[in-house]
Amino acid sequence: MQQLVIALPKGRILKEALPLLREAGIHPEAALFDEDSRALRFATNRPDVSVIRVRSFDVATFVAFGAAQIGIVGNDVLAEFDYSELYSPVDLGIGRCRLSVAEPLGTPPITSESHVRVATKYPHLTKLHFAGQGIQAECVKLNGAMELAPLLGLAPRIVDLVSTGKTLKENGLVEREVILEVTSRLIVNRAAFKTMPEVARLVDAFRAVLGRAAA
Amino acid sequence: MTDRVALLPSGFRDRLPPAAEAASALTRTLVDGFAARGYERVSPPLVEHEAGLASWLGKPLGGALFRTTDPTTGEGLALRPDITGQVARIAATRLAAAPRPLRLAYAGPVLRGRAGQLSPERELTQTGAELIGTDDVAALAELITTAVEALTAAGVSGLSVDLTTPDLVAELAAVPWPVSDLPGLLAALDGKDWGLLEIRERAPYRALLEAAGEAANALPLLAKIAPDLSARLAALAALLPGVRITIDPTERHGFEYHSWCAFSLFGHVNGQPLRAEIGRGGAYRVRHPDGTEERAAGVSLYVDMLVDAGLGASARRRIFLPEGTLTETGAQLRADGWATVQALSPDDSAEGCSHVWNGREAVAKG
Repeated sequence: MQQLVIALPKGRILKEALPLLREAGIHPEAALFDEDSRALRFATNRPDVSVIRVRSFDVATFVAFGAAQIGIVGNDVLAEFDYSELYSPVDLGIGRCRLSVAEPLGTPPITSESHVRVATKYPHLTKLHFAGQGIQAECVKLNGAMELAPLLGLAPRIVDLVSTGKTLKENGLVEREVILEVTSRLIVNRAAFKTMPEVARLVDAFRAVLGRAAA
Repeated sequence: MTDRVALLPSGFRDRLPPAAEAASALTRTLVDGFAARGYERVSPPLVEHEAGLASWLGKPLGGALFRTTDPTTGEGLALRPDITGQVARIAATRLAAAPRPLRLAYAGPVLRGRAGQLSPERELTQTGAELIGTDDVAALAELITTAVEALTAAGVSGLSVDLTTPDLVAELAAVPWPVSDLPGLLAALDGKDWGLLEIRERAPYRALLEAAGEAANALPLLAKIAPDLSARLAALAALLPGVRITIDPTERHGFEYHSWCAFSLFGHVNGQPLRAEIGRGGAYRVRHPDGTEERAAGVSLYVDMLVDAGLGASARRRIFLPEGTLTETGAQLRADGWATVQALSPDDSAEGCSHVWNGREAVAKG
C-alpha cells in the first residue's frame, strides 16, 4: 500500500483542522496535539496515512516537493511561495485572518516616496503589493514579533497577519491596507493528485465535509 | 571548505560513472523507441538567433535565456531552452516540402536561464518526437503509445497519462461563461484554487475542477460541459489500453502553446512513484514564414529524471587483466561482452573491477 503523508501546521490551525480531519475519516493519535511532544511524525487510525507537524511555511514546501502528499496551509503561504506543483482544491474556511500593512498610529501616508522599508515574513507578497503602487519595497525578513520593528526603528511599517488586531493595538500600530484575505486551504501535490487515487478520494471527502457544513 | 576551484555555476553538474553512462544509455533507449515507430532523428544546433527561437511555436520563452552576442556580427544569440521549437523551424523551412505527416525525433541538452522552484538544474537533457501535419486523436494516440513504449523499455512501470485541454477555458470564457479577468481565472484554475472561484462569474468553472480525475469518472462530467471534446478524449483513451488515464480540463502548467489536447506522463521506478512528471506533450501549431499555421503534435521526455531514479545502469561486467595477459585473451573477453581493464604496470590494482583474469578464466572478486 502506498503511504500517504499529511502535513499539518503547528498551533491554532491544527486545533481548528482536527474536526474536519475526523469528519473526513482521519483520526490522528493524541500525541499530535501535545505541544510538548517531541515526535514529528504521528500515526492515524489508517495504516496507510500518517501525519507530520511542521511550521506553516514548511507545510507548503513538504507538499510541493512531494515529501508529503496533502497539507493544510493558509493561502498567504501559498501566495508567498507560488509553487507551481501545488493545488488548493478545498477552501477549509478555517484560520480566517488577513495579510495587512500596518504602521504606527499617525504615520503620514506614502505620497511621493519611490522606496519603502518593510519588516515582514512575506517579502514576495510585500514587494508585489508595493510594486503595484509603483513603490519599491525593501524587505527586512523577520520570522516573528514583527510589531517590534517600527517601535525600535528597524522599519517604519510591517506586513503581517492580522486576525483581531489586538496585538497591533497593544503595540500602537494601525492596520493601513489589506493585501490578502486569508483562509486555510487543503493543498495537494500535483503528481500525487494525478497518480494516487487515494489522494483524490480524500479531496472529495473534504469537499463533502465542507459541503455538509455549508448546507 | 576553502577549495572553491571545483565549484560549478549553480544548476550545472558533472555526471560521473556510472550516471554519465546511464544518461547516454537511456537517451539511446528512448530515441530507439521513437525510431522503431518511424521517427527520424534531427540534430539542431545548441545556439540560435534569439529572435528566431520563439517565432516557430509562438511559445513564450519566459525571458530567462542564456544569451550572448555573436562576436562576428553583433547579433543576439541564445542557447536553446527547448528543442521542440527548433524542430518546428526545420519542419517549416528545410523540410517544408517533405511529405506529411512528418515524423522527427531528437535528443540533446537544453539550457534555462533560471532554475525551477523545485529543481536547481539549468542544463537538462531533452528527448522527444514530433509529428507534423496532423494533431487528431490518432496522432496523439500514436505519440503517447510511442512514449509509453520507450519509457517502458527504459525501465519505467505503472505509467499514467494525464490528459488536459488547454483551449477549453478560453473557449468557455468566450461564449457560455464570460469573465472579466481571464488571466486571473486561468491562474485560479491552474492551482485548482476552489476559494478563488467563489466570485459569481467564476462559479460555473468549479464544475471543471470536479471533472478532474480518473477518465471513467471525469469524462461523463466533462461531457455535460463540452460534449464534443469529451467524446474526442474518450476516443483517445480507448486507443490507449493498459495505461491509467486521468483527465484534467483546467491545467495550464506550461501548456500555453498547446491547443485542443495536451498530456503529462507519470510513472514508477522500482515500485516507487516518481515525484514529478517524466514527460509531456500535446497538439500545437507550427507557424510557417508565410503566416500560415500547420497542425502538429509532439512529446518530450526528461532523461535526467530517469537517471536520477537510478535507471539505465550498465550491466557490463569489468574484468581486470594482470600484466602479461595475452592480447587475444582480452580481445575474446571483449567480444564476449566484458569491459577489460588491462594492467599497465605491476602496481595496478583490480579496484573497481568485478572480476579478475587468473590466466585461465574469469574469477569473481570476493
